Amino acid sequence: MFGFLARRGLLMIPILLGVSIVIFITIKIIPGDPVASLLGPTGTPEARAALEDRLGLNDPLPVQYFTWLAHTITGDFGTSIARQTTVSPMVFDALWNTLILTAAAAALALVLGVVIGALTALRRDGLLARIGNAFALVSISVPQYSVGLLLIIYLADDAGLFPVSGMYSPNGGGGFGDLMNHLILPAVTAALVPAGIIARMFRSSVLDVMGMDFIEALRARGLSERRILWHAFHNTTPSLLTVAGLQIGYLLGGVVFVEAVFSWPGIGQLVYLSISQRDLPVIQAGVLVSAFAFVLLNLIVDALHGLIDPRVRTH
Amino acid sequence: MTAVSDIALGATSSTDPPTGVRPATDATVARRRRRVTWGFRISAATIAAIVLVTLIGPFLVSDPNVGSLSERLLPLGSAGHLLGTDGQGRDVLSRLVNGGRPSLLAGLIPVAVSSLVGTALGVAAGLSGRLTHGAIMRTLDVFYAFPAVLLAIAISAALGSGISNSIIALAVILIPPVARVAETETRRLIDLDYMEAARASGAGGLSIAVRQVLPNVAPPIIVYCTALIGLSIVYAAGLSFLGLGVSPPTAEWGLMISDYKQFLYSFPELTAIPALAILVASVAFNVLGDGLRDLLDVRGETLT
Repeated sequence: MFGFLARRGLLMIPILLGVSIVIFITIKIIPGDPVASLLGPTGTPEARAALEDRLGLNDPLPVQYFTWLAHTITGDFGTSIARQTTVSPMVFDALWNTLILTAAAAALALVLGVVIGALTALRRDGLLARIGNAFALVSISVPQYSVGLLLIIYLADDAGLFPVSGMYSPNGGGGFGDLMNHLILPAVTAALVPAGIIARMFRSSVLDVMGMDFIEALRARGLSERRILWHAFHNTTPSLLTVAGLQIGYLLGGVVFVEAVFSWPGIGQLVYLSISQRDLPVIQAGVLVSAFAFVLLNLIVDALHGLIDPRVRTH
Repeated sequence: MTAVSDIALGATSSTDPPTGVRPATDATVARRRRRVTWGFRISAATIAAIVLVTLIGPFLVSDPNVGSLSERLLPLGSAGHLLGTDGQGRDVLSRLVNGGRPSLLAGLIPVAVSSLVGTALGVAAGLSGRLTHGAIMRTLDVFYAFPAVLLAIAISAALGSGISNSIIALAVILIPPVARVAETETRRLIDLDYMEAARASGAGGLSIAVRQVLPNVAPPIIVYCTALIGLSIVYAAGLSFLGLGVSPPTAEWGLMISDYKQFLYSFPELTAIPALAILVASVAFNVLGDGLRDLLDVRGETLT
């Protein structure tokens, strides 16, 4: 098990290097002349050359990349153009908030997906199963930015059940209950698409397992249907984990829209606000830490995979 | 979701008649698998209707950019404005109809581009030796490490807002999953007898790829990409919603939602109209993908 984890951990290094190269390229493809905009219209050619030298823009690209990488690894993401403060504290605070929302949405999506998937697989012709299938189909097609807005209108504003935006109430509040209250609507909105995907996958996975020979063998040995279902579900966990792991990546991206709509102070909202201000250092840092968090989460999913399914470890 | 697994369950379900006693012949199985579902028909008709409206509609409705402030925020069903007017007095129906073309194109073009590039990369990786295969697939793994939407946002933010840049950004994030499907399907074929025969008869790499591999990997890729269109339409409108797609005053569904959300509390239906358009288009392509899967008898690929 340890060797398996170590191998997976080592595999992360080239992936993360690749991720950093992609981000570096997005910095380099920005149209426009950064030096000219820093100098302003009065810049002399000499001042320009000096500044280019100081920013390291005359170095060969690989040198520029490694200088940038050295800064990034030490958590130095540069200075925000719009706010003139260092980017790192901003991004790490936001990442924490995003992870809270992502975790809540992931838990919700997993529960919803498994219940609906099992229901539609085992009671194929019932009314509930039909509703479940329709729900799964519609929810994977849902644009989160609009569902979030409509939830705000009907559940938060009209019914007054939930707060409209933010993470904590500005006055009073601040406790765990307050957080949960603010968390529900964004988490439901973010969970819809992954719940639909998990439901569809889990349905076909249950159907596949229920068609396997060992189920027939268990039935022949006279096991109760409940025990048989338990064995069947146990066999679906590996594929469930794989899909759940992929969905975390979907969630980390999808929360951008949810956070923008619900003003949840996470990476998504930070990126959203930075788009209109063309604050690229913040956008790039946000994407970079999200990708990093995603790669780490995948490592955890892999570890769980190895724990549950011994076959994975030997590959 | 596949019809194949439905049959598998039917054979063991205790309530069904014991089909296991009299095994179905290959012909009946094939007939049961390849069926034109109602979902397929309805979604195909819906998509045809949407395309028709976006092609012809703009000639039938008023100018989407003309509005008078004396007529702003008229409710649904007003005389001359079936879906009412927006905050600048512009006809919502006209903006919806005219917004169809950029919204659909921004969703369709990335899928078209990534299906071509992704298939080429995937087939090339599947057919080539260890080194090239590794190089292509490990590079694609890097893109899998990004939350897809965030990468699209980073790319289109770096390139600057505009519909062509959002198309480029979406194409980049859609290439890796398509390539992975193509590679998996190609690897499945590589040891089959007819491939051996093609190699033995002296066919070159390109000829094998085009004549032997492509016809066999096409069906699963078509099914996968059809479902991707739904996702891509939602993402494309999402980028506009965030301010990265088309620029105002162009009518486009995502931009409409972002425009109308300032009236969310007084006129929520204004936001709901373009949202519904995106949802219908996206559901239609997802159902079409399901229907195509049943029709072409393709194993299920999970949409990620």
